Amino acid sequence: MEFFGPVLDGFNVVLDPTNLLYCLLGVVVGMLIGVLPGLGPAATIAILLPMTYGVEPVTAIIMLAGIFYGAQYGGTITSVLLRLPGEASSVVTVFDGYVMAKQGRAGAALGIAAIGSFFGATISIIGLTFLAPLVASFALDFGPPEYTALAMLGILLVATISGGTKIKAIIAAAVGLFLATIGRDGFTGAERFTFGNLSLADGIDFVPIAMGLFGLGEILYNLEERHRAANAPVKVSKVWPQRKDIKEASGAIGRGSVLGFFLGILPGGGATIASLASYAMEKKTAKDPSRFGKGAIEGVAGPESANNAAATSSFIPLLTLGIPANATMAIIFGALLIQGITPGPQLINDNPQLFWGVVNSMYIGNILLLIMSIPLIGVFVKILRVRAAILAPITALITMLGAYTIRNSMFDVLLVVLFGAIGYLMKKFGFEPGPLVLAFVLGSLLESNLRRSLLVLEGDPTGFFTRPISATLLVLFIFVAVWPVIKSGIEKRKAGSLASTIASEKEKENA
Amino acid sequence: MSIIVGYVPSNVGEAAVAAAIQEAKLRDEQLLIVNSSREGSLVDKNTASEEDLARVLDTAVKAGVSAQVIESTYRDDLTEEFLGLADKHEVSLIVIGLRQRSQVGKFIMGSQAQRILLQAEHPVLAVKAP
Amino acid sequence: MDAKHARHDSTEKSLTSELTPEPQEPEALTPEELAAQWEAEAAEPAGPIANLLSSLVVLGLSIAGMALSVGLGLGTPAAPAAGMWPFVISLIAAVMAVAQIIVGRAGGRDGEKFSALSWYAVIGFATLILMVVLMPIIGFEIPSLLLCFVWMRWLGGERWRSATIYSILIVAAFYAIFIAALGTTIPRLF
Repeated sequence: MEFFGPVLDGFNVVLDPTNLLYCLLGVVVGMLIGVLPGLGPAATIAILLPMTYGVEPVTAIIMLAGIFYGAQYGGTITSVLLRLPGEASSVVTVFDGYVMAKQGRAGAALGIAAIGSFFGATISIIGLTFLAPLVASFALDFGPPEYTALAMLGILLVATISGGTKIKAIIAAAVGLFLATIGRDGFTGAERFTFGNLSLADGIDFVPIAMGLFGLGEILYNLEERHRAANAPVKVSKVWPQRKDIKEASGAIGRGSVLGFFLGILPGGGATIASLASYAMEKKTAKDPSRFGKGAIEGVAGPESANNAAATSSFIPLLTLGIPANATMAIIFGALLIQGITPGPQLINDNPQLFWGVVNSMYIGNILLLIMSIPLIGVFVKILRVRAAILAPITALITMLGAYTIRNSMFDVLLVVLFGAIGYLMKKFGFEPGPLVLAFVLGSLLESNLRRSLLVLEGDPTGFFTRPISATLLVLFIFVAVWPVIKSGIEKRKAGSLASTIASEKEKENA
Repeated sequence: MSIIVGYVPSNVGEAAVAAAIQEAKLRDEQLLIVNSSREGSLVDKNTASEEDLARVLDTAVKAGVSAQVIESTYRDDLTEEFLGLADKHEVSLIVIGLRQRSQVGKFIMGSQAQRILLQAEHPVLAVKAP
Repeated sequence: MDAKHARHDSTEKSLTSELTPEPQEPEALTPEELAAQWEAEAAEPAGPIANLLSSLVVLGLSIAGMALSVGLGLGTPAAPAAGMWPFVISLIAAVMAVAQIIVGRAGGRDGEKFSALSWYAVIGFATLILMVVLMPIIGFEIPSLLLCFVWMRWLGGERWRSATIYSILIVAAFYAIFIAALGTTIPRLF
């Protein structure tokens, strides 16, 4: 029973009116940006970071978390109604969801997506409740070498699993790490790369980087988007599936939830991979796979449960180990740092209010999501009529003015604009901003732990391998690093034999 | 030679199409039904759904008129887009629907119909909803 | 970029029907077809020149980073100085940049080519810099108005009247929220 004490305390935290309000705000904003094209959850969370300055840490994280899983659901709405995935994790929902809408079952699709999302998140939260303290207690034995290895592994995983070339992602991570070194060196007091600029003496603040790279960068990028033709307004009747639908989908929801939970914990994994994997799994386990792509409700229920479960479980590495699993988590990590809280294994014990407050807010948030998704769909469809040309300057102004309110400093606004340009250029040239932010956020921790480790191990890098945990992590690191090379080597050989097979077949044809 | 009509899924648009069909029958010409939507948003109330377009086409065909539906997008100027299509297809008549608009409404939001009437080089038939 | 010279990006799709109409069925595209359609609509990849350029820039910056780090003093692995870590990172970045030059010389599928529409991003950036410069001097209202107007009118294709009205409404709303409601100290004129 002592175990449940803090958990129940967490509910007290959540039910506090301010926190509830911010939870609602986060979920609604999340759904909104999930529905609207252009900005994603990472960008929105980055842009709204200035809002977190004036509130309690718990409240801030509750809101940001709400945005995150609210956006997952918002993306489903456009997938189903307009065949346009609002989020990467809603891509799979298009295949069956849109067909269902065309068959007049849009309400059922949206309803089962909401139910599945709720269920997925709930399963994930239950898993989190049991798993997180376990991981945290295990990680309390971590010393500097373990942290170093863990941070390196986390950065590498995010870099390799995110889209685009691996090499460019690693370059982005390296740039992030470098940016983290600007300012005063904690160990020696030397000023690094400040070129005498006073504003840089304390290092670059995380918030302008995040706001610029993700927020303004995305906004600038959207300016050049070629818009496609609009759709006719869609009418959605009953947003609730029939009993028969629920029965059919229940298996998919269960499977998707569990699958999403495990896939979300992996750094770099997350909602998108979970939804893809769930779709594939449903197709395989279905009695009649040919139904998929033609309005099979499992094709909506499974992936939706999975992506919400994954979104929730991706908080685990952050809250228990202090390692963000993806770019959005990195931004939330930064938000916690702003509040003076360093996420890590000690978080559960040092600050149980925060930990359980955030976790339990996800229950409440998902309930709110389920309740509100039904009446709000009509509203969201109306909102879709607003033209991008009007939204763009609004978001830009929010970003600019919000950036100023951080420290009442114009320099911050300038930083945001400059990083906005960098973010835009990175996108154009194929570099992912996610690894950069992640590496930046972990940079100073990584460096201090590395230097501390070297001091402890007396300059002997092989010392990392004498300790079991850091050794395992480093082996994993090396494996993940060289796996793509091995993989392409195997594929080349396969392709070689494939090519010769095709060639010989063609010869047979022509003979 | 053909007749072009601007269609939106509303009373006015339906009235315009009905009138256009009659004209096309009278003149024994082909009918071009244009539904143009504005770029920039995901949903637009002026965009006709596929069912609407199919129904309108069906009505035309049932009346014995050879008809074609054109869906297009424009960025900022419907009038230019619409008149451009009219020129391109060398129509003999333009048919548009007229909405009830107050003086103030016309001033603030502009009136595409007014601009088409003034700028078109072809005869224009303006139809009010019944 | 005003209306007269705007590019007519009108894409015409026609449904033709002779005297016998065909039943119109909703397209049930398979996932493969959908993916292909999105692929076709997506922007072109950046290409080999962009790859070379960006890699060279990274290479240049990382070499500079290495040089500066050496200036800070490297120390030894047992007693690393301030410059050791930045040096290591810059080195990794340099190596990766070279790798990218080699690996990506054929182009690859990442990134996007710059198009005529990319000028919009440049103009957007320019308005943002302008705002940064002007805001401390004349407050946020006027630069914001200008930004809104430029973005809506030229970058967004709104008409004069709509752009003006919306700009005024938006700036007024921001004033109401940021100044009146939240009481922040953003530089302002009124």
